[in-house]
Amino acid sequence: MATEDLLVAAGRQRPPGPRHGARRVILYVVLSLGAFACILPFLYMVSTSLKSSAETITRVSPVPFSPDFWPSALRWDNFAEAWTLASFSLYFRNSIITAAVTVAGVIVTSSLAAYAFAKIRFAGSRAVFAVLLATLIIPESVYLVPNFIIVTRLGWYDSLAALTVPFMASAFYIFLLRQFFAQIPNELVESARIDGAGHLRSLVSIVLPLSGAPVFTVAFLAFVGSWNSLQWPLVATRTPRWRPLTVGLTTFISDAGPQNQLIMAGAMIAIVPVILLYFLAQKRFTEAIARSGIKG
Amino acid sequence: MDARRARDALSAYLFISPSALIVAVFGVFPLFFTVFISLFKWRLTRGSFLGLGNYESLFGAHLAPLLALAASIGGVVGAAILLGKSATFRRVPTPRRIFGFALLACSIAGLVLSLPTVASQGDKEVYDSLRVTIWYTVLTVPVQLVLGLGTALLLTQKIPGRQAFRVMYLLPYIAPTVATAAVFELLFSLRPDSFANQLIGLFGARPLQWLQEPRGVVPLMLGAGLHPSAGVIASYWKGWVRGPSLALVSIVLFSWWVFVGYYALIYINGLGSIPRQLYEAAEVDGAGKVRSFFTITIPLLSPTTYFLTILGIIGTFKAFTHLYVLRTPAAAGTADPISVEIFFTFFRKAQLGYSSAMSIVLFLIVLGLTLIQQKTLERRISYGD
Repeated sequence: MATEDLLVAAGRQRPPGPRHGARRVILYVVLSLGAFACILPFLYMVSTSLKSSAETITRVSPVPFSPDFWPSALRWDNFAEAWTLASFSLYFRNSIITAAVTVAGVIVTSSLAAYAFAKIRFAGSRAVFAVLLATLIIPESVYLVPNFIIVTRLGWYDSLAALTVPFMASAFYIFLLRQFFAQIPNELVESARIDGAGHLRSLVSIVLPLSGAPVFTVAFLAFVGSWNSLQWPLVATRTPRWRPLTVGLTTFISDAGPQNQLIMAGAMIAIVPVILLYFLAQKRFTEAIARSGIKG
Repeated sequence: MDARRARDALSAYLFISPSALIVAVFGVFPLFFTVFISLFKWRLTRGSFLGLGNYESLFGAHLAPLLALAASIGGVVGAAILLGKSATFRRVPTPRRIFGFALLACSIAGLVLSLPTVASQGDKEVYDSLRVTIWYTVLTVPVQLVLGLGTALLLTQKIPGRQAFRVMYLLPYIAPTVATAAVFELLFSLRPDSFANQLIGLFGARPLQWLQEPRGVVPLMLGAGLHPSAGVIASYWKGWVRGPSLALVSIVLFSWWVFVGYYALIYINGLGSIPRQLYEAAEVDGAGKVRSFFTITIPLLSPTTYFLTILGIIGTFKAFTHLYVLRTPAAAGTADPISVEIFFTFFRKAQLGYSSAMSIVLFLIVLGLTLIQQKTLERRISYGD
């Protein structure tokens, strides 16, 4: 046994003394306070969304332990009212279609390009890749005006294409996938090629099946990016036809005036699907975010 | 063999063509197109050619203060590179260090004198929004780094329920920004019975205006306003002394709430890659917990810290969504950063040319910051070899 292993073993066997117990209590208290701070705004949102309009002003408290924090009677009607007032059905549908089309486009274009950069030798490979990566540090503000003009010239203004096509390829996603594809042994790809498979076949039947986690990461990031985007949809849409939930909610917030319970119901409607997804696949979510590090 | 190679190359080009086409049209070409647009008076359609006219409205027409400002910035950068290169832990005053500090002092003096002149001859709104962006970056990134690392250290302790805590800490980051910002708009409203006002009321404080408060936090805390000065230089720097407006600070609180969990997650990843044996060895050598934190954890986390710093600075310079949702007319622009200013110049005022010029300046600032960080910080990073 190496000395290092002995040291590690010794470290593990430290008996839990009384000091250890006190430390653990403090640890839990600090962690719980932090978690409480993370959750509190969500609790406030839930309770306000179920109050009556008057209660949002007269019956309020900053502490969830106080009865005033909660409504006297649960008013589920608020959700129905917010849903129809803000035409959430339409915005929801728009957001889902936009995100789905973007994700599909991103997966197709990025996996193709990542395969080419990782598994095929060709002239200009490094140069093209460098140019792609260089686009990553350009702030979105720079794209606002020119892409508005380009999209208008293409006749895409206020259409689904304007909201999806510009985001269907990103150097970042290609980079993420390429890193992973490069780790897949070349022999696997080569053996398929000797059996007469083209590059497309070897991508679809060998590389992609081995790349579940990184493909999920890219899909997740593209989805979140599309679902949360606000600036570009504000610029690229004029009518509610393709407006996403974010724009709908922002307009609703400024139009609803002092109707706090309706605004909070609207916020709930936008948050709940994402949180549900998150709880269903939290392990994969955290992995995906840890692997990437970008939010729009 | 050559035929196969040619076929390989052909498929490679076919494979990259969809991405290349999209990035070329919507990612590379727009950069040059923006430069082109910024040379025109461009309302909804192209107007007359202005040359550098838009940039002149941004910076003012007099060249001398601009050159002085550019020289000062160059001096600060040069000094940073010089001092970064000389041995970090030696306190011996080598000629290089002395020159570096002298250059730094002169450049800072130059900055103090030239910046107010430039700001007064240029577009006041743009300089104010840049100041908001700088405050926002300074108040968010370092705090999030420290709180994120602290949280990560707690969350890597081996305790039951760890995963549940991790899930909760990441919730604010996962939830759609527009919606959570709407919640904060309610929490930090100016009503005396709003969440924030009731909360500080528990500690005996009087209600504040929060998101609608344009006054700086320093006069608010001192309970008295700063008297405006007559001189250009003094009044400009007094603007900094006033501190960020309470409206901006409220938005900063939102940013902490959203990003601390995310920074913690990235730090947890970094902590996981530090070999346990190092700590055990340090313990055998008699190093305490605090000592090994500063000699092992911090240095070996430096790649993570570097990544988060760069990402944080680029991110805060282009941050838009929550700043847009949480801005109020009552805050009188004291919480509008450059990204929001660019957006409104285009979206509300329909000045496409001017907006483009502003975005080019923003791009150059971000580019410059990235390069400076690479030059000064990278050599201090330990990759743990």
